[in-house]
Amino acid sequence: MKFYKDHYDVIVIGGALAGLSSALMLADKGLDVLVLERHNLPGGIATSFVRGGIEIEASLHEMMSIGEKDNRLKVGKFLDDMGVDIDWLKVPEAYHASLPGIEITMHPGFETYAREVDSVVPGSYDKVLKVLNLCHTVFDSVNELSIHPMSKPMMLLKHEAFVKTAGYSTKEVLDSFDLPQKARDLLSCYWIYVGTGFEELPFTIFSVLMADYVGYGSFIPHKLSHEMSLKMAERAEEMGVQIEYRQHVEKILVRDGKVYGVRTARGDEIMSDYVISAAYPNKVYTSMIEPLSEVPPQAIKMVNGRRVSLTAFSVILILDKEAEELGIKDYSIFHGTTMDTDEIYRNFKGLGPYKYTTCICHNLGNPDATPPGTCSFSITVLPQVDAWKEVKAEDYDRIKHEIAKQLIDEMSEYLGVDLLDHVLEIVIETPVTVSHYTGMWNGSIYGYAHTMEDHIVARLQTAEAEKFIEGLEFAGAHQISGDGMGPAVTNGRKAAKNVLDDIRKKKEAAAK
Amino acid sequence: MKIKGFLKDVGGASRVTKARLAAFEKASPLPEKTDPVAEVAHAWHPGPIELRVAEIRTASKTAKTVRFVRTDGEKLPFFYAGQFISLGFMLDGKLICRPYSISSAPYEARQDNSYVEITVRRSKGDGLIADYVNDELKAGDVLVGTMGLGQFYYEPLRDAKHIVALAGGVGITPFASMAKEIAHGTLDADLTILYGSVSSDDIVLKEELDRIQSDRVQIVHVLSGDEPDWKGERGFLSADLIRKYSREDSSYFICGPQVMYRFLRGEIEKLNVPRRRVRFEVFGQAKDVSSLPGYPAEMKDRVFEMTVMRGLQKDVIPARADESIVTACERAGIVLLTDCRSGECGFCRTKVLSGSYFVSPENDGRRAADKDFNYVHACATYPLSDLTVKIPIE
Repeated sequence: MKFYKDHYDVIVIGGALAGLSSALMLADKGLDVLVLERHNLPGGIATSFVRGGIEIEASLHEMMSIGEKDNRLKVGKFLDDMGVDIDWLKVPEAYHASLPGIEITMHPGFETYAREVDSVVPGSYDKVLKVLNLCHTVFDSVNELSIHPMSKPMMLLKHEAFVKTAGYSTKEVLDSFDLPQKARDLLSCYWIYVGTGFEELPFTIFSVLMADYVGYGSFIPHKLSHEMSLKMAERAEEMGVQIEYRQHVEKILVRDGKVYGVRTARGDEIMSDYVISAAYPNKVYTSMIEPLSEVPPQAIKMVNGRRVSLTAFSVILILDKEAEELGIKDYSIFHGTTMDTDEIYRNFKGLGPYKYTTCICHNLGNPDATPPGTCSFSITVLPQVDAWKEVKAEDYDRIKHEIAKQLIDEMSEYLGVDLLDHVLEIVIETPVTVSHYTGMWNGSIYGYAHTMEDHIVARLQTAEAEKFIEGLEFAGAHQISGDGMGPAVTNGRKAAKNVLDDIRKKKEAAAK
Repeated sequence: MKIKGFLKDVGGASRVTKARLAAFEKASPLPEKTDPVAEVAHAWHPGPIELRVAEIRTASKTAKTVRFVRTDGEKLPFFYAGQFISLGFMLDGKLICRPYSISSAPYEARQDNSYVEITVRRSKGDGLIADYVNDELKAGDVLVGTMGLGQFYYEPLRDAKHIVALAGGVGITPFASMAKEIAHGTLDADLTILYGSVSSDDIVLKEELDRIQSDRVQIVHVLSGDEPDWKGERGFLSADLIRKYSREDSSYFICGPQVMYRFLRGEIEKLNVPRRRVRFEVFGQAKDVSSLPGYPAEMKDRVFEMTVMRGLQKDVIPARADESIVTACERAGIVLLTDCRSGECGFCRTKVLSGSYFVSPENDGRRAADKDFNYVHACATYPLSDLTVKIPIE
């Protein structure tokens, strides 16, 4: 029996958003691509599942970089260009902030947002708008430079703000604006989507985050993130990509410093010139490359020199009342007992109680999310991977329930209604769940921490030097753009671009 | 940092790049392979494991309990009382999967003498595997199983502390597991089992269950047949009977044959308890698909051609309109693995590339976007024309 071709141009390990983006872009350029996904459906954690007859979103809070139909941002535009037609719903607000001394619902749009901050902290409008404008300028530069790299003098000329803020943390830049504490707290809420405290977080990343979400709002697919993942997979297949589910790649085959194929758990050896891996470099360089002697010491030093970032813990509740009846008024609630991101980041090193949660009521962004008379409410914290490394199998269920109970109790108190009296279905997703379904390294979903030592600008500068095996590319949260479903698409495109560039270079060399 | 200083600084990019390289330089060159989170995931969900039949014993006049141990000497995985195991049986060289609720307790899987048990009743009709287990399976036989499956278990953050179990026939098995786990002190709930049988001879696991009755576990046998000496409850699991054994706040867990579900839906309705307090276990494939609402009865004897794609491999096999896509594959010796076999779990998610089909409306567990793109759960989907499907390579 013959399941595969003798050879593919590119094999993509992992059919989640990054891998599918790679596949789409490569197929669009006429390459012969095979995607091998270990689960029985696409998307990785961008998926859904059905419990008690109700389809439940597995992980998506809100997509960045989509934009309105007539003003698409890069991810929205890429999907449009590839012919992936997703029914996007715009999330009505930015977020509801529930912080010490603050209860307010914020909306997208720089001026609107600045006015809303001003309503909490009178007189802060100008300063806040200045911060947002700076963010927007840096954001534009990042977008342009990621497509058109340029020389340093040229960069300084055309992208001054980007260049001048690159060496500073978010804390350092925000300090320089001397914002009142509450204004600063309100500007800090989205930090959870990049997940490093402001002492360490490059301002560049903060800029992209704020400009994208505040400037353009966020979007969700009408039929949950499975709609997005499935439509990407379907479109890729239409374009000639072969996708095989339930195929777990165990080994990446390397000879003389160059990739030549993969081996799956069922023993198929499949040949290709390029492999794009969604598996973390940590896993690839310590157990997947065959033989391991092909892994240079610099590759090991690189993965050891980086900090694997956050993982996720979510309690998803399907409740037997509608959102309004339970006092839930906003799609997205950031609830913190402090808004000091560094303090929260340290707090995420443990197993709770946690100081900052992010909650989503899907029905308030998508009226069809669950049947009438019910609603879906998820409570999420993003602990550091290290916290979960200590959890033993025999304690797992107890710890999982203790944390879930704490989160439910906290939000019950906030909402003034005991959520436990309304639970139709409960699903507790943990780092172990992520590991089980996706195989991600230690259940991490955020890739490597965005820090001043692992800065996106530096990542771009050293990317070429960090290619240790010819023909091997990576696509996932562990790549340049970092975590998030929008950045996953960007990371996947980057991997595909690297492959295409390499093919072009080889062709040019051969022509000479 | 002064704002002026920061505005003059153009060296940031070089600085962060140097910092990055310095961090790598400092880092250890020794590979760190540790992924302890994956180890926990593996302990709970190791995937298919090889099992050996350690012993088979009688569970009633018509049922047997089969004890399995792992062939690799490891402990069985963690699971929740009430979950099922999917077993793969090799019959005439063809792999056929069946789900069975686990009748042993989770603690028994984790003790030194680690095992897992299922209890299977001989069928009254076409129970190919049920009869095979009762008549042919023997100690020493080796099978592959995947366990810790399904959602039919006590969840402390959702369910009432008192469970009223409504069991019929061999549907007692998940409750046997719960009862043992409670008796062992590792499941913190109270359990009242109302167990309906026709005659006392039909009661499965009677001695085992009666032995573990306590202030937390109560077993009430209810006989519907005519048995003059019977001193216990009689009749069906009626609303009145259920009410009699309920507390102020109870959760109702129901597991039994399909006919019992239809009856109990009505009785539960009369109790007027909140929807979140009622949980039905999935009940397996429809015995007679033509009886399902919406099925075009005139189709039922038709046999179609089904083209099965696995990667580039293409096979054409016969597929009966009254048997699921999975059954057609199994008959043809094409491996299409299933877990729940009830249309719910989606493990056998399959793409229909062309042709028309019927999906059982009683257990359509598909995702909305999957419906739009003709993905089906093959165990609960029936061909209504020639079909082309794509299934995973196993």
